[in-house]
Amino acid sequence: MALLELQNLKKYFATQKAVDDISLNVEQGQIFGLLGPNGAGKTTLIRMITGIFYPDEGSIIFDGKKFDPIKDVGKIGYMPEERGLYKKMKIGEQAMYLAQLKGLSHRDAQAKIKKWFTRFEMDSWWNKKVEDLSKGMGQKLQFVTTVLHEPKLIILDEPFSGLDPVNSNLIKDEIFNLSRNGATIIFSTHRMEQVEEICNHIALVNKGRKILDGTVKQVKQDFKENLYSIGLNQPLHEISTLAPFTLAGTREDALIIKIKDGHSPNEVLRFVLDQGLSIHAFNEILPSLNDIFIKLVEGTPTARQFQPVQS
Amino acid sequence: MNKIWIIIKREYLTRVRKKTFIISTLLFPLLYMGLIFGMGFIAEKSKQSLHVALIDSSGYFTEDKITAQNLADNSSLITLVKSKPEAVIADHKAAGYDGYLIIPAMDWKTGSDSLVFKADKSYGSGSTAAVEAKLNRIWSAIKNDSLQIDGEKQKILSQRLSVSSYNIKDEKANAKTAEGIGYVSGFLIYLILLIYGSQVMMGVMEEKTNRIAEVIVSSVKPFQMMLGKILGIGLVALTQFFLWIAFVLIVYNVGIASSSSGMVSQMVGTMQKIFSSVNMPLILFCFGFYFLAGFFFYASLYGAIGSAVNEDMREAQSLSFPITMLVIISIAMMSSAIADPTGPVAVWGSIIPISSPIVMMARIPFGAPGTVPWWQLGLSMGLLILSFMFTVWFAGKIYRTGILMYGKKPTWKEMIKWAFRKN
Repeated sequence: MALLELQNLKKYFATQKAVDDISLNVEQGQIFGLLGPNGAGKTTLIRMITGIFYPDEGSIIFDGKKFDPIKDVGKIGYMPEERGLYKKMKIGEQAMYLAQLKGLSHRDAQAKIKKWFTRFEMDSWWNKKVEDLSKGMGQKLQFVTTVLHEPKLIILDEPFSGLDPVNSNLIKDEIFNLSRNGATIIFSTHRMEQVEEICNHIALVNKGRKILDGTVKQVKQDFKENLYSIGLNQPLHEISTLAPFTLAGTREDALIIKIKDGHSPNEVLRFVLDQGLSIHAFNEILPSLNDIFIKLVEGTPTARQFQPVQS
Repeated sequence: MNKIWIIIKREYLTRVRKKTFIISTLLFPLLYMGLIFGMGFIAEKSKQSLHVALIDSSGYFTEDKITAQNLADNSSLITLVKSKPEAVIADHKAAGYDGYLIIPAMDWKTGSDSLVFKADKSYGSGSTAAVEAKLNRIWSAIKNDSLQIDGEKQKILSQRLSVSSYNIKDEKANAKTAEGIGYVSGFLIYLILLIYGSQVMMGVMEEKTNRIAEVIVSSVKPFQMMLGKILGIGLVALTQFFLWIAFVLIVYNVGIASSSSGMVSQMVGTMQKIFSSVNMPLILFCFGFYFLAGFFFYASLYGAIGSAVNEDMREAQSLSFPITMLVIISIAMMSSAIADPTGPVAVWGSIIPISSPIVMMARIPFGAPGTVPWWQLGLSMGLLILSFMFTVWFAGKIYRTGILMYGKKPTWKEMIKWAFRKN
């Protein structure tokens, strides 16, 4: 059973159809990538999942029941793209405050905060004010406050923005860790290389609609263009029209070939071997999510135009 | 409701632990007293004591009569010019006078109503009034002599009847002290509404400025956040108020204990007299009620504005201007209410929720049920309660939308639309 089911969600603002009939399921334990260009409706969608906005139409089923914005907040952790914490408040105190607002008791909160602070080597910061922290440290703190209450569903919006490689890695490891311990994570970002690294399931949203939904593997398979990279020890001068492939380009010392429709990689190998050439490498080139993203979204103006709401 | 309590605690502790809280708690009573007494003091000081050269062509004004009056009253100094009046007229400043006054040849039976004090500056009527009064006392002495009215007859003539107001329904209401208390408490509520109203406005802007609004709203309902803020800041106001009262009480009791110090014990004596001449329990109860209810009414409106603007104090100030005007209008109505506690301005002002916290507080010391019938008091309180329930609800709706909105500055019309939008 899916942890989160979104059914035909719609959210229209006065001038804009922000979310226009989106349905998707997030299974327990998944690391789910929510992707889309700027203005696609991701943030609005996320705000409905976290109970900040209420949908105009459609329903949200969380953990088997209808989503209850008041009771379920304790089971959800949300780190918005717009980072923010009370600047003048001491860190330990602030983490306690936010944890208690999520429903943790004073004692529980204190124990859990200590645990996370130690894990992230933030022990010495307890009494510092947020404004004394560097950006990276602030983000780590915000991450801690998001996952402190051990939520079932964690939503991270651009969690890596502004982090150096070391801290990025730290957060990435934490995400894997949390997932291993049973949490479900929805991860929204523009950085496709990270999506490939981290997510196992993705959905692509554009203009308020869902245009892609599947596992990373599946999506790549769906969009593959039969491109292969073949590394030969001798240069190939001409490719006869009888060959089961065409030349698509070169990359370093390998050739990029596109296998013609109806032919298989085995035929390619046989063909090349019959030519008396020796092969030192042969891989499939699957499209990167970056390429897929651009391909699907291309044609959209770079800034989303306002679509008038037709009643 | 537990979450609201957590928010209240945080808002309260954050503010109470700041140094500015302690400083303002100690400073405010001193400043407030300084304001009240200082205004009176300055008013007194601004009257000038004039040195007048009297050039008498009538012959009535004699040296001894003038000297007698100068000794009795030093708010002005009149000197009779015996020789060379032309020199004085030409340059009175060189002769050492502020100005000169020529008494024409006139008949003691008719006098003159067109005397002019000539000077090289314009003097206010406050200063010339003292001269006029002294001159008239001298003139009375002259007329008494001419009419041959002796000292005894003068005494009988000068005796006046004096009338003061007495409230038969509420014997404790003494008009003079009632005015004073009315003024003081009305003004105090005015200050509290303005100061803490803007504190609420800035407090509400805190989440937006720190960009933490989204995180907060994903944990609690916006209404809970707003209510927590208003209650937390209200508690700070209450704490500060009780500290002031404690401060005054300490001074009061120290004053009683050390009855040696003349001025302090005099002040204490006056305070005791004031407190016993009015219905203190009623006044205190009403003050508490109007303080709190007025605070809720205005704080929620200020809070709504704080949530709608984008961290820019000027935007906040321009949008909150209409609200501030309402408070200022209430103060204007208050002076009218004190002058005539049963007049239409006073009655309506104390019932309409916008001005009732200030105006009713100004009226109450005059006595209930005498000056303020119970039904008026009840109606005023009831309407105020209903009103603040409305403004809190209204503010909650605006807060819900405004807190997440960054970008253009909304107008009041837009904000009203937010209030009636569905969730």
